[in-house]
Amino acid sequence: MPTIVDIAVNTEGFSTLVAAVQAAGLVEALQSPGPFTVFAPNDAAFAKLPPGTVQTLVQNPPQLGRILKFHVVAGKYTKDELIKLGTVDSLEGAPIPIHTLSDDGAFEVKNTTVLAADIEADNGIIHVLDTVMLMG
Amino acid sequence: MPTLTQPTTLIPPSAHPHADIIHRLEAGGSMLPDTPENLMQIIGIYKAYAVPMDFYWRDLLYIAERVFLNPVPAFKYFLPQEYLDLPNHYAGDTADLRIWRGEATAHPELLDFMAQGETKRKLPKLLLHLWHDRINMEFAEACMRAMLWHQDMGGRFNDYLYTEEYKGACDRAIRAYFKGNPAMLGLHKLFPEMFYEKCRELSYYSNLGLFWEVMAPVFFEMSDIYDEGGFAGVPDAMNFIVNGIFAVAGRPIYHHVYVGDECFELIPKSCGFTWLYEAALPYVEAVFYRTAPFRGTKSYNAQAGQVPQDQNDFHYGILYADVFPVGSAGIPPTLLMQDMLHFLPPYLLEYYQQYCRGEDDMLTQLGITFQRSMYNVTSAVIQALRAALLYPLDDQNPRHLMANRQFFEAQMDRFVRPEARLKDVQRQDYR
Repeated sequence: MPTIVDIAVNTEGFSTLVAAVQAAGLVEALQSPGPFTVFAPNDAAFAKLPPGTVQTLVQNPPQLGRILKFHVVAGKYTKDELIKLGTVDSLEGAPIPIHTLSDDGAFEVKNTTVLAADIEADNGIIHVLDTVMLMG
Repeated sequence: MPTLTQPTTLIPPSAHPHADIIHRLEAGGSMLPDTPENLMQIIGIYKAYAVPMDFYWRDLLYIAERVFLNPVPAFKYFLPQEYLDLPNHYAGDTADLRIWRGEATAHPELLDFMAQGETKRKLPKLLLHLWHDRINMEFAEACMRAMLWHQDMGGRFNDYLYTEEYKGACDRAIRAYFKGNPAMLGLHKLFPEMFYEKCRELSYYSNLGLFWEVMAPVFFEMSDIYDEGGFAGVPDAMNFIVNGIFAVAGRPIYHHVYVGDECFELIPKSCGFTWLYEAALPYVEAVFYRTAPFRGTKSYNAQAGQVPQDQNDFHYGILYADVFPVGSAGIPPTLLMQDMLHFLPPYLLEYYQQYCRGEDDMLTQLGITFQRSMYNVTSAVIQALRAALLYPLDDQNPRHLMANRQFFEAQMDRFVRPEARLKDVQRQDYR
């Protein structure tokens, strides 16, 4: 089975995320056995950030790495498990609240909507987000 | 105004005491009403603020990086040429991200003022300093001290200052700085916490310097855009700041110390500290909202409960300030007003001449303009936080809109107390 990085590299719509992971020097870590749960913002999510935001982060790998680590959780958690947990701690250290299914049936991670859940990888699982998450 | 969206009808109106302002924020507006007069005032004062700020950030970094533990820092406000030439990372051709189209080195108006002072006579630097005809760095230091004193205001910066890693780095720098000085090294051995605490303060100098290095070009650019007729209203000015906050959010916050040619990284960039979390948000909390009492002619009796027990409830920042009583000599906000007075654009000078007592109470008038302008900056911070942590204003999901509403209401709760000037800045005749 492909790793989390392999899936991101070979799937259309994740080129910004892949470039960011490379710039932050996190490729090797995300290729390791893990397992990890990765909340992966797509290209449209990064495009929603105001101009300059990504440029500044890419210029500063430790700071970029911190934001990216906020999108990664140690352990493999499916959508159902996440909903049951209610909140999970990111590798950055800050918690990520998970919103339970409400009347409209949305699966939300913090202030983002999950566009595709439970994409299985060799070293974890991916949930695709429509927005880049920020701590706080 | 074309810059505001239609208010939503997906959720019921707010019943908050500041409901009208909450609805304005929900429509993409600012806490400050959108009038041409407000726009003119805030942009003019941003420009007047940016010039001394260009000195503040350079000198804060100079003190943090070079003056360091000098036991008699009598010349810490005498900025060497190296720091006047220090290229701003957000202006000029060499910028990491060019926010201001101007030059990266010290602003020409600042250099001119430093050379001649108020008197417009080329006197020796020391004389200008002693006569207090200079940029009032004491204001910048008061802001730094507010951040140091309030400490735990989110972010990881303050926690790091108590780690073994930080103390180890401080220790190396202290030993290098006092090399060949047995008295100071002996003092360090006897009372190790003393110099660590001083280092912590110096780390806040660096933090604030790196924060203001961004804000100066933001304000200069806003002034230029306004002069070119580029802002349609107050919300446009607010949104420029919102975009600026995002653009530099990931800027590293660090503290490097130079002893001779050797660099000691007290807080390395690799800590991952960011401009938004470790500098901007703590700054706004400490300086705009909290600061400390006893800043003006008005005194407070702590024993009579006039000062809150909980530091979280402190409310002595510019958003609450009664500008008139603080307008006395030697008090930090007044020092800033005095600094801004030197760099007012002509349109603002002319405006103040027309109201109140003209030139006689210009410091108070511009102080209130500054208060208006900081309500706009705070609006930008509130909107940026809403954008980063919550939902777009045009979201069609009522649950999301309600989450935004609760966030805005929680922010406005801080302005319910009678000292808050939010209601006052709604009126144009508040001067």
